[in-house]
Amino acid sequence: MSAPLVHLWHATSRFRLVLVLVIAMFILFSVSQPEFATSTNVKNLVANSSMLWVVAMGMTFVLLSGGFDLSVGATAALTGIFLAKVLETGLPAGLVLLLAVLFGAAVGGLLNGFPVGRLGLSVFVVTLATMTGITGAVNLWSDSQSFLVTDPLVARLGTADVLGVPMPICLMVVVFLVAFYVQTFTYFGRDMYAVGGSVTAARLSGIHVPRTLVMVYAFAGACAALSGLIAVGRVGAAVPTVDGTLALQAIAAVLLGGTALTGGAGGVNGTAIGVLFIAVLQNGLSLAGVASDWQNVVTGVILILAVMGDRLGFGELMRSSLLRPAIRTPDENVLTTKEAQ
Amino acid sequence: MSHLGTGSGPLLTLQGVEKRFGGVHALKGADLTITRPGVVHVLIGENGSGKSTLLGVLSGQLRHDAGSMRLRGRTVRFADPVAALGQGVAMVSQETAVAPDLTVGENVLLGRGLVRRWSGISRAATNAKASEVLSRLGLDYDPRARVGDLRPDQRQMVEIARALSADASVLILDEPTSSLTDDEVQGLFRAIRQLKEQGVAIVFVSHRIPELFEIGDEVTVLRDGNTVAQGPISDFDGRSLVRAMVGDVEGLASRPAGGSAARGTATAPVALKVAGLVADDAVHDVGLDVRRGEIVGLAGLVGAGRSELLEAVFGSRPLSAGHLEVAGRPYVPSGPRHAIRSGIGFLPPDRKSQGLVLGMSVGSNVTMVQTSRRSRWSPPRRAAAMQAVAEVVASMRLKTPSHEAPVGALSGGGQQKVGLAKWLVCEPCVLLLDEPTRGVDVTAKAEIHAQLRRVAAGGTAVLVSSSENDELLGLCDRVLVMFRGRVVADLSTETATEAELLRLAGGHTS
Repeated sequence: MSAPLVHLWHATSRFRLVLVLVIAMFILFSVSQPEFATSTNVKNLVANSSMLWVVAMGMTFVLLSGGFDLSVGATAALTGIFLAKVLETGLPAGLVLLLAVLFGAAVGGLLNGFPVGRLGLSVFVVTLATMTGITGAVNLWSDSQSFLVTDPLVARLGTADVLGVPMPICLMVVVFLVAFYVQTFTYFGRDMYAVGGSVTAARLSGIHVPRTLVMVYAFAGACAALSGLIAVGRVGAAVPTVDGTLALQAIAAVLLGGTALTGGAGGVNGTAIGVLFIAVLQNGLSLAGVASDWQNVVTGVILILAVMGDRLGFGELMRSSLLRPAIRTPDENVLTTKEAQ
Repeated sequence: MSHLGTGSGPLLTLQGVEKRFGGVHALKGADLTITRPGVVHVLIGENGSGKSTLLGVLSGQLRHDAGSMRLRGRTVRFADPVAALGQGVAMVSQETAVAPDLTVGENVLLGRGLVRRWSGISRAATNAKASEVLSRLGLDYDPRARVGDLRPDQRQMVEIARALSADASVLILDEPTSSLTDDEVQGLFRAIRQLKEQGVAIVFVSHRIPELFEIGDEVTVLRDGNTVAQGPISDFDGRSLVRAMVGDVEGLASRPAGGSAARGTATAPVALKVAGLVADDAVHDVGLDVRRGEIVGLAGLVGAGRSELLEAVFGSRPLSAGHLEVAGRPYVPSGPRHAIRSGIGFLPPDRKSQGLVLGMSVGSNVTMVQTSRRSRWSPPRRAAAMQAVAEVVASMRLKTPSHEAPVGALSGGGQQKVGLAKWLVCEPCVLLLDEPTRGVDVTAKAEIHAQLRRVAAGGTAVLVSSSENDELLGLCDRVLVMFRGRVVADLSTETATEAELLRLAGGHTS
């Protein structure tokens, strides 16, 4: 193999099992279901996962920083209502879309990021509370009514084609590239990994931990908002229903993609594979006429296997095989001197 | 060589006990004899002498590789602490391990001692039983009180009571006085005397020499994993004990010609000035100066306030009073970010949880501090940063497969070098280090020392805290000795001896 390919293969080490399964499923479904490997179906498959994809990119940052966010589904729905309400005021649609994304960022940053980052409250409690509160707000603000959104610009978010590629897929690519750049090539991205890896080390290195966390949750909120906008564009209406499982599905996708629940390791490249895994599984099984409940069972089993594999070290085994001598930690002398005193 | 053996032989003997951890020979042949029930047996030795390992073997936390352990004449080998407890050997470790939200009674009898009836645990009977155990220590704590509301010394008593409730006949107390005030120490000693009368043998570990003579009956001295002296404590005095711990090689340790006078730093401008610094209960009215190019050591026992002093200067621990100057400008510690901007670097004692992010690469860790100084959204200047990393890494002879390798994959010494490199690339004016060579091998230690000398030669003021006195004497120009939050001595390393440091750190002035 050539050097770049080797490098690319190494980069998959945290999600190799899931990557192999995605490819295997793709081949299996292509052979067994004639309608699977058609361009229409593949476009559909990917576009259908766009909401999950966008939310999961934001969720990846939250997990990298050592937390998680249960409120993204509610934020997505709230942003839909925000869009419908603000469009009624007659502002130009482009501006409203921008405002809607900023609204999501503000919700995430202020309601989740501030209490978690600045006040040091528990991630679980804070995001559970915002999930509950925002769900209530969605119904109160919308009077539990759906709003038709006929604005052509918004509709194009969900339905337009750019050079034959559906708009949701274009947005997925854009969000991925932005997230990948931020994660890999900015100081903020590295601060995020550092905070997730060790809060104490980050603080003692002069990293502004609260600000980093506020921005991480703001990013997750912005991603949730964008996914809410895509949903409105696809349906043509802002619906006051909160997808209660969206946050958990996104966390599942992030974990399948090899990001550590404890933070500090992983990234959006793995998350992309995690989302594709769920999308391919869902689509293939439904084409095969398998009850959708099986999809959940399989996802659950693979999730455990993926995480367990990492823990038990067969990920390590796959990683080190053939290509790279594994670097192991000779931890002994650390242990010794502590005990030897 | 057994002395004082009563008719039935000694209560507990360890003979030729050896223990290895990987390449480190922690115990090479340690002997310890507790002659009879109801004695206080003092175990002393410097850091690294094998004391903790020996206690671990004794209490069942570690298994020895060679040698024998006999309890009441029978050979024993403890598989785990529960087995040791079953044989009546209980240990109260340095850090208190109580459940703060449970009551005194519940804590004392935690595990198997709670009195159960058909209706569940009987509070009245449990509390009565706990009171009985506490009274053996001469204490009348209310068993219904919440342990979290007690003072630290009272919590320690609760732990001792818990050990007693398991019918301990040998009670190991690992540095029980290290965080106690004088009054509290007297309280502890009263309890210990009560236990002696009841026939409980106590293994007592402390670095404070005077109190050993107050409470001890017999003594074992460890040095480099060997027992170098043992016998009734009346055979010793403070000086002979210290000499046994340090060895007769005083002053022989290879010391590079140094000293502030020789290096001409005595007149250099003051880089860090601290006056009247007070932090919580840990640091009281500390004043010190560190000049540019000077390496100053902080000696003292664990709990003497060395770490707290460094943290207060760096701003990661609030200080209640004090005036500080860095390079002649007033400096008010308000947090690590401010300290770093003011030109202070701080290498924390625990590299795994405080110093490094183990999952991140060598390069990312080394450049982590610089991160906070630049624009958040700009791409890191990789080429420039990597150049700096490469230079520092090369100068410390760090063995790493690549700068992209995760720090967690390096050896302890390698990790510590990365932790140090992180600060060196920012070229601080003042560098604070807490236990910079803890848990690293000899070579890495020497390389870290060499690096620190180079940094100092470059004009950085270095303040280093260590619990290894020989390290401080070998590395520093001056050593400040701390005792209970105060600086009690300021010694030039040209004349100071290890024995002197040990005495001063133990609160023995003279």
